[in-house]
Amino acid sequence: MHQHFELVGRLRVWQNIMLGREPRKGMLVDVDRARSRVAELAERNGLAIDPDALVEELPIGVQQRVELLRELEREPSVLLLDEPTAALAPAEIATLFATVVELAKRGTAILVVTHKLQEVIDYTTRVSVMRHGKIVARYLTTETSTDEIARAMVGGELPHVAQREATGTQACLSVRDLTAGVDTTTVSDLSFEVSAGEIVGIAGVEGNGQTALADAIAGMIPYAGAIELDGSADALKHRENIGIVPQDRHHEGLVLNWSIVENAILGRQNLPGIRKGALTDWNAARADAEAIIERFDVRAASPDVPVRTLSGGNQQKLLVGRALLGDPRFVLAYQPTRGIDVGAAALVQSRLIEARNRGCAILLISFELDEILALADRVLVMFRGKITGSFSGAEIDRGKIGRLMAGLT
Amino acid sequence: MLAGPAGALVLAFVLAAVAMLIAGVSPLDGFGALFQGSLGGRRPIAETLVQTTALLFPALGVSLAFRAGLFNIGAEGQLLIGGLFAGAVGAHFAGPGWLVIPVLLLLGMVGGGIWGGIAGWLRARFNASEIISTLMLNFIALSLAGYLVAGPLKSPLASGAETAPLLPSGWLPAFPSLGSISFGDTRLTISILIAIATAIVLSFVFTRTVFGYELRAAGEAPEAARRSGINMPRMTLIALALSGAVAGLGGAAIVTGVLHRFNTQLSPGYGYTAIAVALVGDLNPLWVCVAAFGFGILEAGGLAMQANAGVPKDAIHVIEGLIVLVLAARRYFATRATGAPV
Repeated sequence: MHQHFELVGRLRVWQNIMLGREPRKGMLVDVDRARSRVAELAERNGLAIDPDALVEELPIGVQQRVELLRELEREPSVLLLDEPTAALAPAEIATLFATVVELAKRGTAILVVTHKLQEVIDYTTRVSVMRHGKIVARYLTTETSTDEIARAMVGGELPHVAQREATGTQACLSVRDLTAGVDTTTVSDLSFEVSAGEIVGIAGVEGNGQTALADAIAGMIPYAGAIELDGSADALKHRENIGIVPQDRHHEGLVLNWSIVENAILGRQNLPGIRKGALTDWNAARADAEAIIERFDVRAASPDVPVRTLSGGNQQKLLVGRALLGDPRFVLAYQPTRGIDVGAAALVQSRLIEARNRGCAILLISFELDEILALADRVLVMFRGKITGSFSGAEIDRGKIGRLMAGLT
Repeated sequence: MLAGPAGALVLAFVLAAVAMLIAGVSPLDGFGALFQGSLGGRRPIAETLVQTTALLFPALGVSLAFRAGLFNIGAEGQLLIGGLFAGAVGAHFAGPGWLVIPVLLLLGMVGGGIWGGIAGWLRARFNASEIISTLMLNFIALSLAGYLVAGPLKSPLASGAETAPLLPSGWLPAFPSLGSISFGDTRLTISILIAIATAIVLSFVFTRTVFGYELRAAGEAPEAARRSGINMPRMTLIALALSGAVAGLGGAAIVTGVLHRFNTQLSPGYGYTAIAVALVGDLNPLWVCVAAFGFGILEAGGLAMQANAGVPKDAIHVIEGLIVLVLAARRYFATRATGAPV
């Protein structure tokens, strides 16, 4: 089962499940037999599904069920799951693993590739840890812990995550009645504030309007309503005031053929420290690149190598480092630790908390509830383009947030 | 960077040698005539440099657009319009050379800039593919220029369709003598120096200026560029206008340096060959100079090869085509091997 769904949205559930293996009646597809086969599979595995539903109209969690049923249709003796919970809300995750554990009990070998350590502890029987393409540790799940697995993943102790200091109260970013976006990703009538020295986390399953919110704040799409920095909409347009960690590092954040030095000033190329008259001050750019490399432990042979040659984790550290350069008033961090190992993630999270402690307002958008809970002073839950819950301090409740993320109350 | 294009050049010549063998001509005779006719003496070298110059301006223009991620294949039209502007005004412009020549060159840039800018505006405003519009504008340029020199701008004294000749004060000075070697009796002028200076300026703009940085960002990673605050429609318009301006400067350089008048035979397709020159030069202005010299040898030596070795001049275009093909194949295989474009 692939991390990114391999479904045909315009086909029905039974058509997707039987695709390529359709039972035949002469030259035609034996529709009755196919549909009853799907119904029987769903029944046997306890996965409720309507065989005639159009796949594109189904919620993500149900699409995942279709993916799983399609694999189960082949009666596999080994089932491979690649990051199966990346797009699921916590309740959906529990449902999925209930099915998978049941399959295992009935004799299917299950191999799950995941970076979510709690899932490993909760649902597996044995763990292998991979680092740099090699298996570096093997454990029985009952005899290990998330900490031990994390240490094996990093190959040493986890960096200490910075301590947080008191939250600021001065509103820095304010969003009022924001409506933006098209088609699948929209937000409507959003209002919230982020104070200086505060991290506000947007919790939600991918595709509930997070991209529209981020793009509106970054000024990339038109919007209705108001977005202000320190009471001014113009201040948001000044690059020295904001740092942005974009969602897609390859397309939105980096020029892969360029060196670290060239990438270190992307988005900052017109700031006074970098631009001297019509010229680029490459000495200043190099100093910035070296500062990022040092503070974020970016592993590269030199600042002049193309960022294409860096690992994903190092590319991500470069992006976050660039966003935090020059102590901006506000940072928008969209999945700041996406696809990086736990050690690098802890470093990035530490740097975000340090920036917060210095008085930076941070809006954290993440699909990983654990990350939100680890970093945010206040959590807003986003579902279908609206904020459906707000929690701060002691009120932050994993269970409640998880239910709201799935659209339950 | 050099190994690739140089290797491509060698491979193309080997393939061309095979083609000559098939055609029953000794490659030794063929290439002998080619190089004798392009590098074998003062006059052949001067003619090679004239061809080099004619290719270099449009190739630099094409490089600029390509670096911005824009496929300007309209250098031919921009060259023509640049020459038209210079020729139309130059025919009636009397004055000292220090005034007339810069004004005519500037007019060439304006004309080419407008022609490139039209495609840029269409892309920026309506998202019309610049590949199509620049190509189509070539034909419009040719028809427009053809009409004007056959009608409104036609010189009453000339038998063919062309403007009245420039006054000698508008002619580019001959290339300065090198010691005892004089170029006064050749077609070589200081326009080659202007072309090389243009390449140096472009190289500086690309590597040292914020504008050049933004232009390259727009070409390398449009979405990342947009998110870095670059106004992409504006960049598209400016890049295509500048690209056209450089090609147009080349048109004006041919009018003031070689023809001393404008007619539509100004270019035998320099604007198209320039695309190959730009690609062989890896879109790097300084390497484009080297590539233009290589193509200049082919263009100048082709006639000699036809006359002295009986190899048709079209064979030159076969070689040029082979160079581009080998280069394209090299990029393809490099991409396939590493997953990264070269």
